[in-house]
Amino acid sequence: MKKDKADLLQGTLDMLILKSLSLGPLHGYGIIQRIHQLSDEMLRVEQGSLYPALYRIEQKAWVSSQWDVHDTGRRAKFYSLTRAGRRQLEIEEASWELLVMAIAKVRQAT
Amino acid sequence: MKWFNLLRARLRALFHRETIIDEIDEEMRLHLELEKRAQLARGMSESEAQRTAVANFGNLASLKDAAYGIKGGGILETLLQDIRFGARVLAKHKAFTIVAVVTLALGIGANTAIFSVVNELLLRPLPYSDADRIVMVWEVTPNGRHENTTSRANFRRWREENNSFSSLAAFSDQRLNLTDTDTPEEVPVQFATPELFEILGVQPFLGRLISKDDAVVKEPQVALLSYGIWQRRFGADRGIVGKSFKLHGAPFTVVGVMPPNFQWHIKKRSGTGRSAEIWTVLSMPSTGSGNLGRFLSVVGKLKPGVSATQAESDIKTIEARIAQDEPEHNKGYSVEVKALREQFVGNARSALLVLLGAVGFVLLIACANVANLMLARAADREKEIALRTALGAHRGRIVRQLLTERLLLALLGSVLGLGFAWLGIKALIAISPRDLVSFQSVGINLTVLGWTLAISVITGIIFGLAPAIEATRIHLNDALKEGGKGGAGQSSRSRRLRGAFVVAEVALALVLLSSAGLLVKSFIRLQGIDTGFRTDNILTMVVPLSSTKYKEDGQIVNFFRQATSRISALPDVSSVGIVNYLPLYGGLGSATGFTVEGRPLPPPGQGPSTNVRVTDSGYFSALGIPLLRGRNFSDQENTEAKHVVLINQSMVRQYFPNEDPIGKRIDVSMFDKPNPTEIIGIVGDVRYDSLVDQPEPTAYFPHPELTYDFMTLVIKTKSEASAIAPAVQRELRSIDSDQPVSAVRTMNQVMAESRSRARFNTLLLGLFAALATLLAAVGIFGVMNYSVTLRTHEIGLRIALGAEPKRVLLLILRQGLVLTLIGIGIGLAGAFALTRLISGLLFDVRATDPVIYGTIVGLLAIVSLIACYIPARRATRVDPLVALRYE
Repeated sequence: MKKDKADLLQGTLDMLILKSLSLGPLHGYGIIQRIHQLSDEMLRVEQGSLYPALYRIEQKAWVSSQWDVHDTGRRAKFYSLTRAGRRQLEIEEASWELLVMAIAKVRQAT
Repeated sequence: MKWFNLLRARLRALFHRETIIDEIDEEMRLHLELEKRAQLARGMSESEAQRTAVANFGNLASLKDAAYGIKGGGILETLLQDIRFGARVLAKHKAFTIVAVVTLALGIGANTAIFSVVNELLLRPLPYSDADRIVMVWEVTPNGRHENTTSRANFRRWREENNSFSSLAAFSDQRLNLTDTDTPEEVPVQFATPELFEILGVQPFLGRLISKDDAVVKEPQVALLSYGIWQRRFGADRGIVGKSFKLHGAPFTVVGVMPPNFQWHIKKRSGTGRSAEIWTVLSMPSTGSGNLGRFLSVVGKLKPGVSATQAESDIKTIEARIAQDEPEHNKGYSVEVKALREQFVGNARSALLVLLGAVGFVLLIACANVANLMLARAADREKEIALRTALGAHRGRIVRQLLTERLLLALLGSVLGLGFAWLGIKALIAISPRDLVSFQSVGINLTVLGWTLAISVITGIIFGLAPAIEATRIHLNDALKEGGKGGAGQSSRSRRLRGAFVVAEVALALVLLSSAGLLVKSFIRLQGIDTGFRTDNILTMVVPLSSTKYKEDGQIVNFFRQATSRISALPDVSSVGIVNYLPLYGGLGSATGFTVEGRPLPPPGQGPSTNVRVTDSGYFSALGIPLLRGRNFSDQENTEAKHVVLINQSMVRQYFPNEDPIGKRIDVSMFDKPNPTEIIGIVGDVRYDSLVDQPEPTAYFPHPELTYDFMTLVIKTKSEASAIAPAVQRELRSIDSDQPVSAVRTMNQVMAESRSRARFNTLLLGLFAALATLLAAVGIFGVMNYSVTLRTHEIGLRIALGAEPKRVLLLILRQGLVLTLIGIGIGLAGAFALTRLISGLLFDVRATDPVIYGTIVGLLAIVSLIACYIPARRATRVDPLVALRYE
């Protein structure tokens, strides 16, 4: 668990949430599951801290939410990406790529 | 837009608090449920799965809090919480809240009331277009009389030769009889050149203004009506334009009606003392004797970019040229230019600023008092605050909460203060000096409300911040320990802070009291001034004769002879006289040149000059003006022009210092042709211009010599003067049934009016100083009382160890008196520095008057002694057993 946490760079959680929602609406637990799957089970978002991040994103209107019935028969809140959220995802992915590239360059230097 | 959405979400959240919390809860519970199922699927037992799910999730409570912090009302919600909490605290401590709110309300109310006057008189733009470019142009006479009127000839040259004004206008006020209607009435009329309306930039309510084409005087003359007289005398007739009426027997045609709120009245040198009701054309004949008389007031509009000073030197140059060309009438004359605002407000400006400063001081004292109360209460609250700090509240959060509570207090204070201000303004208007223009329109408007809000917020921060920060500076351990003596109340910091408040209050009160003391002394001096005439049991009224009915001087003189003899026959009357202008009336009375027979003619413009009054023999006995030498007018001289004159003492002192003036003949240039008159007597000096101006040389002519058709009756009665008015009017009507009278007043009323400005300043400053002293006393009492409470244990110990009550008393008194003395020292320094500002308001009193300062210091010391004595007495009654057991 601790290892996972270390892997999550500050600010990347927002991008991961947006990315996971880009494939379709999900509830909170679903988001964690999907990030886990998409990362080949390498990334596990700390469960509780998902929610504050999610709400902050919602306040910024990058995602919208709706109550719907879950498979279990209980009510669940499903989040979906808004147009602004899709734009934000592009911005974050671009800057992430830039960062990765830059770090790679530094590491390759001799 | 983002912040707007956020704000909307926050606001919405305020009203959906429960729903939001429930939803967060539900969402998290589902999460836990799903996680638990996942663990169950891995083969865990029910309880194990549950535990793992909870552990994996993290700290549920703090996460919920964090989530709510994002989704909830945020800062708005804490504000709302703070307000609710603050209101509960205030409601719980009723006595404290009431004292604090009333104290603040007094400070804020006084500030609002005075500011509303300042706003109206000093800040609000004058109701004329480009009013800051409008100035008055006056002459200064060779013997230094300021704001003097000028002549047609000079005005014409100013107008033609200046480079500074886009327009110059002359005007002159006169009372005329509105005849031709059922009841004749005397109305103030302004004769003005047409440029006046262009300068003021007004638009007529009906019809048109007087234009340049009207400048040629023709019959009938054109006239503009004020809105008031149009309503009152002309039945608000919308078809009035083009209709005619008669003024003083001459026909006038109405060309327009002025708007309702239009006022144009320059009190200085006005012959009417009131805003005009009718405007008509001032004739400007190019030749003739009327060109030299000085009776015109001049107003001008500066060209853009030209300053008043530039304009003044411009007109001064012209005046110098005039003096060269026409030395006989103009040598030695100069000019002055005054901004319109200055003309209107005059020395009221400094008085108002002093009053504004005074109420500022009162508010500061009020703040210090409330801050003191807060500090004292901080001790009671330190446990509560310590508890909250221990539970994890940030210091900033607590300061914010305390500040909110204080702002709430300030706002309550300002609401009540507005009520006080509303009453205060009504009182101010009631006692306001009549000569302050537009005082009647003073009131609470948006600007004033803005000011009130601003000062109450600033107040809340001033009295709230220091104690709030102080309150949070506490030692948790000490405060939480039962019976702990440490903490906010007794720390040397807060003791020093309380001491500083007392010192500041005493110092501020001293400055106010000494200013008020100086004004009171000066007012008493003003009361005791020798005006040169009596005021008790004297009735005055103006009797204006119609010039159509009374064409000949003989008829006019005869009317007044009849009137005075009939009135003097009334049972309660002891003497009756007439005069053209009453003392303290503030009328025209320009200085007029004269020559003394047998003396060489002085160089032009350097000859002697005198004021001129027209009277009869009865005037002097009615007003009690003593005849010092020679004789009064005889009955014959009262009825026929016998070329005699009485002069006053000042005139003797100034122009006949080493000789006997009686029997000498003087020629005052008031007449159409040379008219030497013989000096038959010398009478006492009278202050005609104002109470504070020294008497000027004055010559009294009997009525037949210089016949005016409006005269003021002066009636000395044996008992209450105003009671005689109906009988007098009856007598006048029996001579002429149409004859109106106006301005029926007792001489005491005339006096009171001329003192009204001084009374106004004195009364208000005195009131504020009293308020300041009261607040300061309450403040000192509060601090000392609290100090005794804090020292109960120590005092108990002292008493138990055998200290005498007297020593305990002295102990406490000394503490209070040391603070008071420091305050007095600082206050004296401040007062010496600041009372110089009011020296312009003082009469016959120096701003450093030692008696006043001595009295004030003594008074404050006594007040503070009393304020300290009550708590000190309490200290001596401390029961050592109770005090020690408390430990």
